[in-house]
Amino acid sequence: MEGRVLVVEDDASIREVTALGLRRSGFRVDTAVDGPAALAAWRARPVDLIVLDVMLPGLDGFEVCREIRRTSQVPILMLTARTDTIDVVVGLECGADDYLRKPFDLPELVARVRAVLRRTVAPASDTTVTAGPLEIDPARFVARKAGRELTLTATEFRLLLELARRPGQVFTRELLLDRVWGHSYLGDSRLVDVAVQRLRAKVEDDPGAPTLIRTVRGAGYKLSTG
Amino acid sequence: MVTGTVAPGRLRRRLVIAFVLVAGVSAGALAGGSYLMLRQARYDGSLQRAAADARYQLVLAAQFLPLTDARRADLLASFEQNGRHVLLVADDTRASNPRYAPTPGRALRASVAAGQLGFQRSASDARSHLLVVGGRIPGSTAELYVVTVEDDLVDGLNQLRTALAVGWAVVALLAAGVGNTLARRTLEPVGRASRAARAVAEGLLDTRLPVRGRDEFSAWAASFNEMAEALETKIEALSRAQARERRFTADVAHELRTPVTALVAAASLLADQLDTLPADARRAAELLVTDVVRLRRLVEELMEISRLDAGREAVSTQPVDVVALLRGIVDARGWADRVTVAGAAPATATDPRRLERVLANLVSNAIEHGGHEVRADVRHAGESVIVEVTDRGAGIPAEHLPHLFDRFYKVDPSRTGPGSGLGLAIALENTRLLGGHLTVHSEVGRGTRLRLELPADGGGDRCDA
Repeated sequence: MEGRVLVVEDDASIREVTALGLRRSGFRVDTAVDGPAALAAWRARPVDLIVLDVMLPGLDGFEVCREIRRTSQVPILMLTARTDTIDVVVGLECGADDYLRKPFDLPELVARVRAVLRRTVAPASDTTVTAGPLEIDPARFVARKAGRELTLTATEFRLLLELARRPGQVFTRELLLDRVWGHSYLGDSRLVDVAVQRLRAKVEDDPGAPTLIRTVRGAGYKLSTG
Repeated sequence: MVTGTVAPGRLRRRLVIAFVLVAGVSAGALAGGSYLMLRQARYDGSLQRAAADARYQLVLAAQFLPLTDARRADLLASFEQNGRHVLLVADDTRASNPRYAPTPGRALRASVAAGQLGFQRSASDARSHLLVVGGRIPGSTAELYVVTVEDDLVDGLNQLRTALAVGWAVVALLAAGVGNTLARRTLEPVGRASRAARAVAEGLLDTRLPVRGRDEFSAWAASFNEMAEALETKIEALSRAQARERRFTADVAHELRTPVTALVAAASLLADQLDTLPADARRAAELLVTDVVRLRRLVEELMEISRLDAGREAVSTQPVDVVALLRGIVDARGWADRVTVAGAAPATATDPRRLERVLANLVSNAIEHGGHEVRADVRHAGESVIVEVTDRGAGIPAEHLPHLFDRFYKVDPSRTGPGSGLGLAIALENTRLLGGHLTVHSEVGRGTRLRLELPADGGGDRCDA
């Protein structure tokens, strides 16, 4: 069994076929038709990952995402139906880990779900990484800054780990997309930018003037320990 | 259509010249005529006075008959003392004052010889202007010529002439000034109208001309305004219709998305289990899966073109290796055995996702229409990066070339290709967003070349993330 996934989608056909596809791939699937039902289902039985449609009647996907993020770092995969890229950015800013545009292929959805879940499971060989004030223990999924524990989503944790493994090295957005999200070909680099912003808000003393996660203009990002 | 350049001010100059001509000619005729009439009247008056005086002087002269040598001298002295310059012709010719001694002309002498009064005026280049009136002294053959000095009269006439000439010049200058002002005022509406027409041509459809008074220009301005109004209304209606049509397209695409999402997901489930289906159902399911892919592509491209139409697409610029991007596209889509990528270009500041849409559409179009031999050449020329995608297909007849980038345009309507008919339109819109140009060159039987020219420095808006 791969894990439990909550699919929140108002369209009955999409909900049913998505659930069917995920079940066939070995997941246990709960479903919810709208925002309040999603929150109720989530509270009744926590899951390993949530597939969340943005356009929901009543409470939209962004609000559901924010509500869940208040108490949990559970991985969230957004389904965006709207055409604006702004939706994607807003979704990611709400704390979603990844997004998929409709219409999507089921195999792609399954691959994304697995990729997000993989970030929460540490490779057995991983040892604790230390970089400047940061101390990251992949095995126990714990990150500390100067002894204080940080509350990170799986994506943010993996992003910080990637940067901290080679302090000072510049990571291009494409490389980070590949390493953290598993997007192999020309994904949206804004995914990286938004995740970096969220990570800075949790890691930096002053997120407006970052000293740890630095932007390298025209190239990408690096972790600065100096 | 503008067939020649119009020099502004030429009409004004012509009007001023006409004005000056009319004023100058009429003032000149008036002044000249008056002068001539006045001169004639003054000369006539002077002559009449001189003639009356001469008759009297002839009677007086008769008192000196018979004219012996001594009496002749007395006569001359007497006349000179009384302020009359005379010329006495008896046996010889004597003048009372040598300064005023004109020679009587032949016509005058003939009149006098015939027993009549005669006169002559000296030529104008003489020192003094003299009027000579002569006659025969009654009771003798001697002739007496009385000389009147007309210098004052001529000076007066000359002054009058000078005054009239100056007056004429002033009138001509005034006419030029007034003409210029009037012409400018008159032609101002013309200039305004031509500026307004240009503004309308440049798309400022709310341009209107002020309508003042009830003259011809006002009527013209009113007609112009009516035309502009009609144009504005029509174009507004057209753009509203276009906006409506685009919104409809966007709505349709959007509404299709949800069922297509379900269909695509269901089709991919079905595709996994084709082997488990009975043969008939399997063929139907295969067709279903294939057509769902086509439907999905159509809906996605419709949505993309709607987004481009709405102008809400942002450009995010970063350094891009065009050749690597092109190779990535070819490899990812499994075209490597049909497409040759060649050339080199330095890192180009552009939006890689948009450029990918353009290049993928160009190459896919070439593969669909050009068979298996497709070349994609990248080079760098000046400030531009040029990508040429060449196929060796059937080529496109010249009459279709202008429409090649139109939406849903099909060179051969009977042919249904795998494309949605939107690929090149999307490529063109994305190229515009990137500040580039997309052109096509095709020869029937030889193949087609699509040429993308991009500014190497990004061209459009920069976005530093």
